[in-house]
Amino acid sequence: MAEVRLENVVKMYGKKMAVRGVSFTCREGEFFSILGPTGAGKTTILKMIAGIEPVTSGKILFNGRVVNDLPPQERNVSMAFETYNLYPHMTVYENIAFPLRAPRWRLKLTPEEERKRVEEIAAFLGIDRLLDRLPQNLSGGQKQRVSLARALVRKAEVYLLDEPIAHLDAKLKFSTQTLLKEFAQRYGSTIIYVTHDFREALALSDRMVILRRGLVEQEGTPEEIYYYPRTDFVGRLVGDPPMNLIDGEIIPEGGTLFFRKGEDFTLRLEGRLAEQAQNASWNENGRKVVRLGIRPEHIRLGGEKPSENAFRLPVYAVIHESESSVVTFRLRDNTFLYVRTVGFCKYGKGEEVWLDFDPQWMFFYGKTVEVLREGSSEK
Amino acid sequence: MSRIDVQHVWKIYPRGNVVAVQDLTFTCHDREFLAILGPSGGGKSSTLRMLAGLEDITRGEILFDGKVVNHLGPAERNVALAFESYALYYRLNVYENIAFPLRARGMKGPEVEKRVKFIAELLELTPYLKKYPGSLAGGIQQRVSLARALVRKPNVTLLDEPLSHMDQRVRHELRARIRHLHDELGLTTIYVTHDQAEAIALCDRLLIINEGKLQQIGTVEEVWNRPANKFVAYFIGEPTMNFIPAVVEGERTVAILTDEGKRVFTLEGSLDSKYIGTEVTLGVRPQHVEVFRERQRENTVAGVVKVIEFQGDKTVLTVRLEDSTQTDAKAVVPARERYAEGDTVWLYFAPAVIRVFEEEHLIL
Repeated sequence: MAEVRLENVVKMYGKKMAVRGVSFTCREGEFFSILGPTGAGKTTILKMIAGIEPVTSGKILFNGRVVNDLPPQERNVSMAFETYNLYPHMTVYENIAFPLRAPRWRLKLTPEEERKRVEEIAAFLGIDRLLDRLPQNLSGGQKQRVSLARALVRKAEVYLLDEPIAHLDAKLKFSTQTLLKEFAQRYGSTIIYVTHDFREALALSDRMVILRRGLVEQEGTPEEIYYYPRTDFVGRLVGDPPMNLIDGEIIPEGGTLFFRKGEDFTLRLEGRLAEQAQNASWNENGRKVVRLGIRPEHIRLGGEKPSENAFRLPVYAVIHESESSVVTFRLRDNTFLYVRTVGFCKYGKGEEVWLDFDPQWMFFYGKTVEVLREGSSEK
Repeated sequence: MSRIDVQHVWKIYPRGNVVAVQDLTFTCHDREFLAILGPSGGGKSSTLRMLAGLEDITRGEILFDGKVVNHLGPAERNVALAFESYALYYRLNVYENIAFPLRARGMKGPEVEKRVKFIAELLELTPYLKKYPGSLAGGIQQRVSLARALVRKPNVTLLDEPLSHMDQRVRHELRARIRHLHDELGLTTIYVTHDQAEAIALCDRLLIINEGKLQQIGTVEEVWNRPANKFVAYFIGEPTMNFIPAVVEGERTVAILTDEGKRVFTLEGSLDSKYIGTEVTLGVRPQHVEVFRERQRENTVAGVVKVIEFQGDKTVLTVRLEDSTQTDAKAVVPARERYAEGDTVWLYFAPAVIRVFEEEHLIL
């Protein structure tokens, strides 16, 4: 097991900068995730840690020792790729056993020992009945679990997992996710995990970084990332529905600061919120504008006015979840506002409901992402 | 009015003698939003295609407002169809795409314009009417596809996995739009999907079909709280319902066996006395499990926390139970409650949340 540290790592592809100075530390025995959208540089970072891609500048250290110039086989890392990379002519058993046979590790297992190791990890991941098959006879989800088994079968200093459960169907994804976490705990493994799915990152990680265009946007525990997103980008990336982002005007009036969202609502801001709103605001056509962020579960709904800041809107649609509902409202600028209720909600379309934002969970941000709106790209 | 009755409908494909749909009977009421849910290959799409008139019915009858429509083609049934793939005409602009079904029926001039503008306004497509589909984002293309399906004022709207290719964020918006449209226009909608979350999100009632057979039909709450069999119980809900082996002790009690003796659970309602002594499976939803740090007197079983998965607004615990088969049970707890791996906890199942299955079927 090892501590992995990145110091100001840069990766250039020709003139294109894929990774623009990334630093983080994955502590020994930690489950550490790199979360970001496609093209953020996640896989490039993983490949540099593995030694498959050279580092343009900066340092990668294992247990305090710079490994920049070590080839992959000298680093004792084990990697699972999103694209499986199985050997087509080998059975599932042989694929999984392959790393155990590599002379580099001098494991020299007896056939019985090898079989025990392979069968153990295969049973753990629920693919023990596939051992005699060839990869071509497997579904995508089965191939992905074989690839994962091959990565986990050998004790390595660091496991590097690149979207290892992305191609499993929903049920299997959740159960395999639980198994992965159990594996990490049982063996105290150091795992660096790349994903674009915030759910996996929150559920699995001890700590995580959010990567955006080759830069770290935020580092923290899953709880810190979820409850205290540093930017509007993080709020949007993490959460389902994502954090509501509402652009509005800030207006000082008689010594008090107000946040005004057109004709929809006006909120009186106090203390931390007033300060945050001031600091984050920008000028737009001579007006002071700021972006308010609040998660769907931090807005309360009610039939009677619950607080001074509460306001009313008609229900646009009610969407159910297993034990809760997401009540959707539309603001006058055509953006949607999502509110999660506890239990099934019985409001009908068009019904006027009071909305009350919990001030503890309101944040103000500068604008660094476009809010999805009419005409904006959805890709 | 558009009520749909499906009566003892079979679909048998002569090639290979494949029975895709077996003796299916159900009703979709006027203005209802019904989801047909099941795994792929379970018979969902065959059912939808028979409703649309795209597929012959081998046996049985389909009625629209009490009239048999078996022999009618898709156009005569006046159904609106939207698929996973938008199937737009890329050489026509958005306006002409939406107008297409109207023109195909010989409608002309101001009436076409009136209808297109009305539906475009509702789906907020007015700014795009002159654009070509190829230049629009996927979510907007799917809205054009919906607009084209709905412009004719259909008797029934059939949607086949319309959101399954959509990015998560767009999906929330489109779900809200589809539900809003359904309510606003008073549509009768049948929505086919393999995604249980999608079905729960949108519909009034769920119909679950597997291996060509109806498994259960009911409101979301009914199916959620009283799944008819283990298949439905497993298929609906995430995390999956906990299944724990137990033995029936009395008409109102079951016991989970552990090395240290029995853990007795009181039930709500009574079992038939013929089940006493029978091995059964208890079904408890992870969302219904209450977790305690100290032993509770009744309806509890102990276990050790094995895995903790944070989900943002909640946390999922995987608890290895003390029962003789060492079942891994899951419990959904508020995110603010703190647990650590290795903690011993007691899981409480209230009488009202315990379901009892014998073999595959619900008996309480």
